[in-house]
Amino acid sequence: MINFVLRRVASGLVLMVVISVLTFGLLSIPDTDVGRHLLGPAAPQEHVDAHNASLGLDQPIWVRYLDWATAALQGDLGRSWFTSEDVSTTLANRIPVTLSLMLGVTLVTAVVSFTLGVWAGVRRGLVDRLVQVLAVVGYALPGFLITLVIVLVFAVQLGWFPAIGYTALTDSPTGWLATVTLPILSLSIPAIAGVTQQVRSAVIDVLHRDYIRTLRTRGLSSPRIVFRHVLRNAATPALTVLGLQFVGLLGGAVIVEQIFGLPGVGAMTVQYTVRGDIPMIMGVVMTTVIVVVVANLLVDVLIGWLNPKARVS
Amino acid sequence: MLRRMRRTRAHTALAALGATALALSGCGTGADDDGEAGGELTIGTMTMPQSLDPAEAMGAALPFFQAVYDTLLLREPDGSYAPMLATDWSYDESRTELQLELRDDVTFTDGTPFDAEAVQANLERFPEAGGGQAQTLSDLEEVEIVDDHDVVIHLEQPNPALLFYLSDAAGLMANPNALDDDTLATEPDGTGPYELDTGNTAIGSTWAYTRSDDYWGEDLPYDEVTITVFDNENALVNGLRTGQINSALIQEVDQQDVVADDEDLHTVDQDIDMQSLLLFDREGEMNPALGDTEVRQALNYALDREAMLEHLRSGQGEITNQIFGPESVAYDPELDTYYDHDPERARELLAEAGHEDGVELTLPKMQEIVGDPLATSIENDLGDVGIDVTWDNLDEGDAIQSIMVEQAYPGMVMNNAQPASEWVTIVELVLPGTFNFLGTMDDTIAERTAEIQQAPEGEAADAAQELNRHLVEEAWFVPFYRMTYQHVTDDSVEVEPQSGMAVPSLYNYSPLD
Repeated sequence: MINFVLRRVASGLVLMVVISVLTFGLLSIPDTDVGRHLLGPAAPQEHVDAHNASLGLDQPIWVRYLDWATAALQGDLGRSWFTSEDVSTTLANRIPVTLSLMLGVTLVTAVVSFTLGVWAGVRRGLVDRLVQVLAVVGYALPGFLITLVIVLVFAVQLGWFPAIGYTALTDSPTGWLATVTLPILSLSIPAIAGVTQQVRSAVIDVLHRDYIRTLRTRGLSSPRIVFRHVLRNAATPALTVLGLQFVGLLGGAVIVEQIFGLPGVGAMTVQYTVRGDIPMIMGVVMTTVIVVVVANLLVDVLIGWLNPKARVS
Repeated sequence: MLRRMRRTRAHTALAALGATALALSGCGTGADDDGEAGGELTIGTMTMPQSLDPAEAMGAALPFFQAVYDTLLLREPDGSYAPMLATDWSYDESRTELQLELRDDVTFTDGTPFDAEAVQANLERFPEAGGGQAQTLSDLEEVEIVDDHDVVIHLEQPNPALLFYLSDAAGLMANPNALDDDTLATEPDGTGPYELDTGNTAIGSTWAYTRSDDYWGEDLPYDEVTITVFDNENALVNGLRTGQINSALIQEVDQQDVVADDEDLHTVDQDIDMQSLLLFDREGEMNPALGDTEVRQALNYALDREAMLEHLRSGQGEITNQIFGPESVAYDPELDTYYDHDPERARELLAEAGHEDGVELTLPKMQEIVGDPLATSIENDLGDVGIDVTWDNLDEGDAIQSIMVEQAYPGMVMNNAQPASEWVTIVELVLPGTFNFLGTMDDTIAERTAEIQQAPEGEAADAAQELNRHLVEEAWFVPFYRMTYQHVTDDSVEVEPQSGMAVPSLYNYSPLD
């Protein structure tokens, strides 16, 4: 298992280098005149040129990349070209917001979808059909529509939760819970719909295996069979989907962050990419790669723990 | 019985959930003293400052700066000027020398006195530092120090908008000891009524300010001011409706409709931004047809502005054919409707100019300004008279480069403020420069603008109105309408709009009686 983890960490590091080169190259392709964008249409050209030079934009792309990479390896991700904010500080402020959503949604999705999926798979009949209908509805409804309705009902009309903003967990745990509840609810509905179907299918599949029949003939109780044997084997595909959902939330959080006015990395990434703010986007991408690598590693380790056969493969 | 118990349990659970949620929401956001005197003022905005260095200040982000910096002159809500760091000012006869008398009781936070040297250092740095407003002081020759509290600003030529600029970005005074550092961008150092609360500020999303204990002037009503940036008006309106934001400017008509349905919100209307088709190529260098006055006039006759205003902005605004707003001395109400919607006349004009077969016009389309309904409306109206419009989609990052630097288009649809100072509009839209990058000029415009520039205080009205009429007759622009924006506040705050600016000054907020 240790070798497995070390191999995954090493491949994660290679991935970071490859993605950093690709991202830097892609961000440099548009040839946006950053100085002009920053200083506006009225600024004299000599000011624009001087500003571009101060950002190193008069250098070849490979020199700029090496400068960035050298500084990044020393822990200096630089400053935003557009707001002068320190990239590391900004990420330290914003990553917890998006991670709060991602972890919250993953937790809620895991609990609810495993419960519903196992229930539907074991009970079948009306319960199964009901769960399937709910899953299809949850999956079919546009995410932004769900979010708009949720904020309108629970925040604006009922006033149960704040409609906008974010309170850090360290400032106020209850405040944090209040500000992330509706966004998590919004993002969880389609995620639950997707994972529930996976769990249900996996449970039905496992229940039809020979060894389950054998266990039944040996007189094991149904709950014991479900929780000790079915769930363990059905978890593998479901966890894989859950892991993919987690990574996908990095993109899916954009709309929710915008609607709730959350200062996370989702909405910010769009804004800064359009502007061509390379230091900030590189910081976001590198952090994202780390989150993705760690998430995938955790999913693999969890699957390996639940199902020893997976470790071998 | 069992069913009733279950229902009761369900109701209890729901009530508990609601109570918990209410408790959470109370803990999470907002305080009871929000918007009240001595409490906290929370402003929501969609404008983000790139930096808090005064040299990089922009008018639309001025409140971020006004919290920590004072300007030399105070611009009152009605656009008139009042003392601030300068207590008195006067021009010489040539209007190239402006004498300023400065306060002698103001210091920066480190004890450095605010004096003539500070003014000289700030003003002389401003045009050199390369900020977005640097050109507003491009006429600056030097700042002469007369004594510790008197300076004379020497200009290369008269600048009728200088007082406006000294009450705006160029007039923000920073600690001279900090001017050579890079720290001002994130650690502002001024003499303003507040200090930046760096612990609660997350640059890029929220700027928090706390009252400066030893402010030299009259205290503003709030102990704390928070300005939060959002990227959509839906979030702003939700924040206003739930009391998490005390005040915000709402520009989109559909969000204004949502506000109108909420009895707890207060609104103040302001017609400020003119939406127009700005023409750059009036000599026909890129598109020969636009060199004909008749074609430019045909563009103006072809648009059904009433239908545009009604359908695109629910009638919220005023139709106009001129670039100067009602607060400017150049404004002439008759010119608002100089060009009626007259497609037949437009076709005649095109024929007179030899374009019976039509004209092709390629324009840039930035989604932030030209939404699909506006693009379709313009395309249909112009297409109806034989002007075939093609839209090129541009994103925010490419727009300035493509339009201003590469000069790829003969015009663009743009929203421009209509400030009280006619000279600000002239510099921005008429004289060779930002939106006249091809440097088009004719004798009338050259003579009238020279007259306005040289005119003594308050004596430029006639020349300004003549210039305005000439620009309309020659169809230099294709204005659509002035758009009504709404200053929306909750039930604790009132705000007074700022003349010539969509964003109110920070001084204009007060508790609602």
